[in-house]
Amino acid sequence: MTLLRTDGLTKQFGGLVAVDDVSFQVDRGETRAVIGPNGAGKSTLINCITGALEPTAGSVEFDENDITNLSPHETVQTGISKSFQTASIFPGMTVRENVEIAALAAEHGSFEFNFLKRLSGFSAVHETADQMMSAVGLLGDDDTEAGSLPYGDKRRLEIAIALASEPELLLMDEPTAGMSPDETADTVDLVERLQEELGLTILIVEHDMEIIFRIADRILVLNRGQVIADGTPEEVQESERVQEAYLGGVEL
Amino acid sequence: MTDREVATDGGAVAESGEPASASGGSALSRLRERDDFVVVASAAALIVFPFLLVDVLGIVGDVIGLSIGGYTGLPSLVLIYGIIVIGFNLLLGYTGLLSFGHAAFFGSAAYSAALFSQVVPSPLLMVVVGTLVATLLAWPIGFVSIRRSGVYFAVLTLTFGQALYFYALGPGSWLTNGDNGFSNIEADGLFLGALPFDAPLTPLPFLDSYTVMYGFAAVSMLVAVWVGNRIINSPYGLIFEALGENEERVEFVGLNVFRYKLMAFVISAVFAGVGGALFVIHEQYIHPTTGLYWIQSGDFVIMTVLGGTGGLVGPVFGAFVFEYVANVVSGVSLPAIGSIGSLWRFVLGAVFVTIVWVFPRGIYGAGEDLVAMLTDRSGGEGGGDTAAADGGERE
Repeated sequence: MTLLRTDGLTKQFGGLVAVDDVSFQVDRGETRAVIGPNGAGKSTLINCITGALEPTAGSVEFDENDITNLSPHETVQTGISKSFQTASIFPGMTVRENVEIAALAAEHGSFEFNFLKRLSGFSAVHETADQMMSAVGLLGDDDTEAGSLPYGDKRRLEIAIALASEPELLLMDEPTAGMSPDETADTVDLVERLQEELGLTILIVEHDMEIIFRIADRILVLNRGQVIADGTPEEVQESERVQEAYLGGVEL
Repeated sequence: MTDREVATDGGAVAESGEPASASGGSALSRLRERDDFVVVASAAALIVFPFLLVDVLGIVGDVIGLSIGGYTGLPSLVLIYGIIVIGFNLLLGYTGLLSFGHAAFFGSAAYSAALFSQVVPSPLLMVVVGTLVATLLAWPIGFVSIRRSGVYFAVLTLTFGQALYFYALGPGSWLTNGDNGFSNIEADGLFLGALPFDAPLTPLPFLDSYTVMYGFAAVSMLVAVWVGNRIINSPYGLIFEALGENEERVEFVGLNVFRYKLMAFVISAVFAGVGGALFVIHEQYIHPTTGLYWIQSGDFVIMTVLGGTGGLVGPVFGAFVFEYVANVVSGVSLPAIGSIGSLWRFVLGAVFVTIVWVFPRGIYGAGEDLVAMLTDRSGGEGGGDTAAADGGERE
C-alpha cells in the first residue's frame, strides 16, 4: 500500500539542518499534504525526494525501490514527477510541444539514439499530449506559444507537463501560489478531478489551509525541519504543537 | 462558439485539397518539415546561387564601376562555411550552448584530411577521415566542457581550441608543418581523378563559375540540409529547443540533460568536421591561424548570429554575408576612401551591429517576418483558419 517512504531523511546545509530526521509514508491513491511555516523545510524535503538535492542521511524508497541517490531525471523515470511552484515551462514553444516533450520522455526513457527518426511518427506521444492537455483544459490552445498564456493557464500547463510524464506520484509545490481566488478554486477542482480520473497519488505542499483541509487525506506538519504532527486533518487541527507553531499557542 | 465555426470551416477546406491552405503559416511549417521539399528548395537555390553571385553581380559591378561580383571559388567557400554553421546552430540556436572552440573540430578535420591525402588522395575519403577525427575529438572535449554552463562552458571550449592551436603551431609542427602551413595537399578530382575540382561542370562557357568543386560542395550542402532537417524534426529537435529554453524542466520531465547536450555538441562537431575537410580540399592549404585559431571559432558565432538562429538554414545567409564582405567587399576600391582591403572587418562589424540591432532574429528572421507580413496582408484570415483547422482535426 505504501508508495513512497522516507526513513530518517536529513539534509544539512553547513550548520543548518533544513530537514531533520523525517520519516513518513505516502499511501497509494491518497492525497498527502505537507505544511509548515516558512522555512520549515518543505521544499528541501521535496527536493531530497526528487533528487535535486542529495540528502545528508536517510533514505527514500519508492514502490519498494531505493531511490535515494538517483538524479532527477532517473527519479522521474521511476514514476515521480513534480509540478513547480513557479510555472516552469518552455515559453517559446507551443503548448503542445511543452506537453509532448514530457510525453516523449515517458514514452522512450531518459535517452535514445534516435536523431534521424521523425517525431511525427510517435503517435503514443501525441495521444498522451492530447489527453493531458484536455485534462487541464488547454486542448484548444495547443498551438499557442506557452509564454503568451495568462498566468493561471501557465500553471495549468505546468501541471499538464508534470502529468504527461505519466507519474504514479505527483509532487505539487504550492500549486496555487500567486493565483487569484477564482484560479485557486479552479486549480483545486482540477487536482480533485485528476486524482479521481487518473488514479494519481498526490503529495502537495501548500500554504493555503483552506485548500489543504479540503483535499488532503493526511497531513504532515513540519517545523524547523522536524515532523511535529502527522495524521488526518482533524488530528492535525487539534494538535497543540501545530497550533503553537502556527499561532504561537493561541486557541483556535 | 466562433472557435467551433472556424474549426468546421477549416476542416472543410482541408478536405477539399491543399491549395486553399497553402498560404497558412502552419501549412508552410508542415511543408518545411517535409524532407523532399526542403531538399528540392535548397537544390533550386544552390543551382542559381553561383550565377547570381558571380555572373549577375559581376555584370552589375561592371555597370556601376565597382568590382562587387564574386570570384569563381567564392560560392563553394560560402557553402563550406554554410555546412559548418548549420551544425553550429543546432548547438547555439537550438540547444543554447555558446561554444568558442569549434575551430578545434574544423581545424582537426582539415589537418587530418590533409594528412590523409598524402596517403590516399581521394576527396571522399578525406571528408570521411576528417569528419571522423573531429567527431572523436568532440566526445572528450564535450564531455568535460558540458559539465559547466554559460560563460564557463564557452571558456572551456575556447581553452581546448587554443590548446590545439598552440600544439599545431609548435610542438605538433612535425605533423602540421607549424607556422609554414600545410601546403602540398593532393586531392584528386572526383571519380578517381576523372573530374578535376577546377574543371567546369557544364560545357557552357558563360557558366564557368559552376566548377566540379562547387558541385561537390553543393551536394555536401544538400546532405547537410537533409540531415539537419531530419534532426530538427526528430525528438532531438524538440529536446534541443527545450534545453535552450529551460534546462531544469527538461531534467524534470525525465530526460538525461547531460547526454542530450553532449549529442548536440558532437553533432555540431560532425558538421564542422565535414566543413573542415571540404575547406582543405577547396583551399589546398591549411595554416594554424585559419584552421584552429580562436578567431575562426568566433567567426562561426558571428556567421550564425548574423544569419539568424531561429531556423535550420538561417546561418547560411550569415556565412554568405560574412564571406562576401571578407572576400569581395575587401577588394572594392571606393573613390574617396580608397581600397577597403584589410578594413573589411570594420565593414563586417558595421553590418553585424546593424543587423543585430534592427533585426535581432538575424537575416533569416527578418525574411520570415517579411513573408509573414506579406501573407497576412494578402491572405488575411487564411492563416488563422488553417491553424484552427489543425486543432479541429486532432480532436
